[in-house]
Amino acid sequence: MSLLTDSPVHSSSSDDFAAFLDDALDSGSSDSSPDEAELQSLRIKRCKVESNTNEEPQASTSHVTTEQNLEAYLKKDFCTHPGSFGDMCILCGQRLEGESGVTLGYIHKGLRLQNDEIARLRTTDMKNLLRHKKLYLVLDLDHTLLNSTQLVHLTQEEGYLMAQADSLEDVSKGNLFLLEYMHMMTKLRPFVRTFLKEASEMFEMYIYTMGDRPYALEMAKLLDPQREYFNARVISRDDGTQRHQKGLDVVLGQESAVIILDDTENAWKNHTENLILMERYHFFSSSCHQFGFNCKSLAELKSDESELDGALATILKVLKRMHNMFFDALGDDIGDRDVRLALKTIRKEVLKGCILVFSRVFPTSFPAKHHHLWKMAEQMGAICVTELDPSVTHVVATDAGTEKSRWTVKEKKFLVHPRWIEAANYFWKKQPEENFSLSQPKKE
Amino acid sequence: MFFHIVLERNMQLHPRYFGRNLRENLVSKLMKDVEGTCSGRHGFVVAVTGIEDIGKGLIRDGTGFVTFPVKYQCVVFRPFKGEILEAVVTMVNKMGFFAEAGPVQIFVSNHLIPDDMEFQSGDMPNYTTSDGSVKIQKDSEVRLKIIGLRVDATEIFCIGTIKDDFLGVINDPTTV
Repeated sequence: MSLLTDSPVHSSSSDDFAAFLDDALDSGSSDSSPDEAELQSLRIKRCKVESNTNEEPQASTSHVTTEQNLEAYLKKDFCTHPGSFGDMCILCGQRLEGESGVTLGYIHKGLRLQNDEIARLRTTDMKNLLRHKKLYLVLDLDHTLLNSTQLVHLTQEEGYLMAQADSLEDVSKGNLFLLEYMHMMTKLRPFVRTFLKEASEMFEMYIYTMGDRPYALEMAKLLDPQREYFNARVISRDDGTQRHQKGLDVVLGQESAVIILDDTENAWKNHTENLILMERYHFFSSSCHQFGFNCKSLAELKSDESELDGALATILKVLKRMHNMFFDALGDDIGDRDVRLALKTIRKEVLKGCILVFSRVFPTSFPAKHHHLWKMAEQMGAICVTELDPSVTHVVATDAGTEKSRWTVKEKKFLVHPRWIEAANYFWKKQPEENFSLSQPKKE
Repeated sequence: MFFHIVLERNMQLHPRYFGRNLRENLVSKLMKDVEGTCSGRHGFVVAVTGIEDIGKGLIRDGTGFVTFPVKYQCVVFRPFKGEILEAVVTMVNKMGFFAEAGPVQIFVSNHLIPDDMEFQSGDMPNYTTSDGSVKIQKDSEVRLKIIGLRVDATEIFCIGTIKDDFLGVINDPTTV
């Protein structure tokens, strides 16, 4: 069939025109594909062709044998199909059936990669990043970097915010944004812009939120209007592989180099060692109510979290310390280092030297070692014991009238509320015990 | 590749458009319906260039709509496997780069980018040769070869390569 005789313009039926052209081209290409493929691998860039021409006469015989070997090799259809775009293999173009691998829809629609390919990419990217002295940071949005509320949930006392919203023209200067088309209002956490700027020098950052994709992209625009921090690395709940769970399988970085900042521990069941738990940011009253707090919200009180003393500033210091610890330790190979170990080490210093006893925090029949406060305190370097003895430094109680509490006051040890442990966990620093001391019981 | 072909379509017209301007209404409706759409067979319809024939209208039972079979000439764009195309790079990342040739999305994986080009991350991620002479970044123009093609009802996805002779960057946006 010659293409000239059946000119498309004169074809009476346009239906078989495309199919016919397909056939003609396919039959042509399939015959030559082994040759093409082998030549593809042997093919040298055009700038190098000139330099190789003098060597051709000598290389010709060996060339022929390698050609033959490659032809046999490639005829076995040795494509590993490392990934697919629109259901086609990205290496050989073949149509692929089956759904193995991980969908990376947040990067581009239709992109899927096999696990081997992801592992390979992670390793090469790791080398690249280590050269630039960067690690990976996965950031949650809600209650971590910002707080959003629906406009219908604004209380009367928060109504003044509608007039105070910052302009959407120049987003980089604002903190409070009214998004009419999404019927919501968003407040960025204090210090967030400085945090992002400084963190971007140490980390390649990702956004990972349980919101949907349009929400995630809108928030990314507010936080990163120049697209310099996150670029295409915005993962929403539509991109995760498991429902109600976040995972590092869609993050293209080695698990040993990823740190996660999130306010919800339950979302990261498989990666608790990489997680730094953030104190929740409740600006709007709807957020307070969502978590069962009946106090007035920051918006109602017309106040805000401290910029230089708040959660983001504190965590930034911890991140800097961890980054220095990772890159400055001399001696061992950088490839073996693990951020999780660095995190553990820093965490163990928070309550180092404290020996704790719990009083009326959990029943005596409860296996003490499994209580979350016990485990939290031990992670922070404290030693927890069940019986009082002279070495005890702190007693953690909810009631100042218990025997253990009285003993504490008598021995001039510290008597603190369990919140003291939680505060130390959020601030990565031992908090002054006076702020968490229990009031004295009434004299009987 | 672009083609200039004759296609046929049955257009349904509401009675409100009957009258002196029936033919013009029909043509404008056709253009609105068909330009910018994609079909598996023909690819993307880029523009309608002329009307060849409008057949007799058939009144549909039950409604007042009339169906006209319209034959029209149009320019279509349909890529083929093995075709060499020029495209503009839209996104560069560690897996490769995405390029656009009109409405067609093409992905070139890093396996099919010459080995001497390495990925450089940063706020302008790019692929650069070791001597820095050739760079592929967003808005670069590249010549690539299509090795895989999938035509959907509304979109065409392609897999491309630049690992062959004479393929690669045509135009460096930084030097222009």
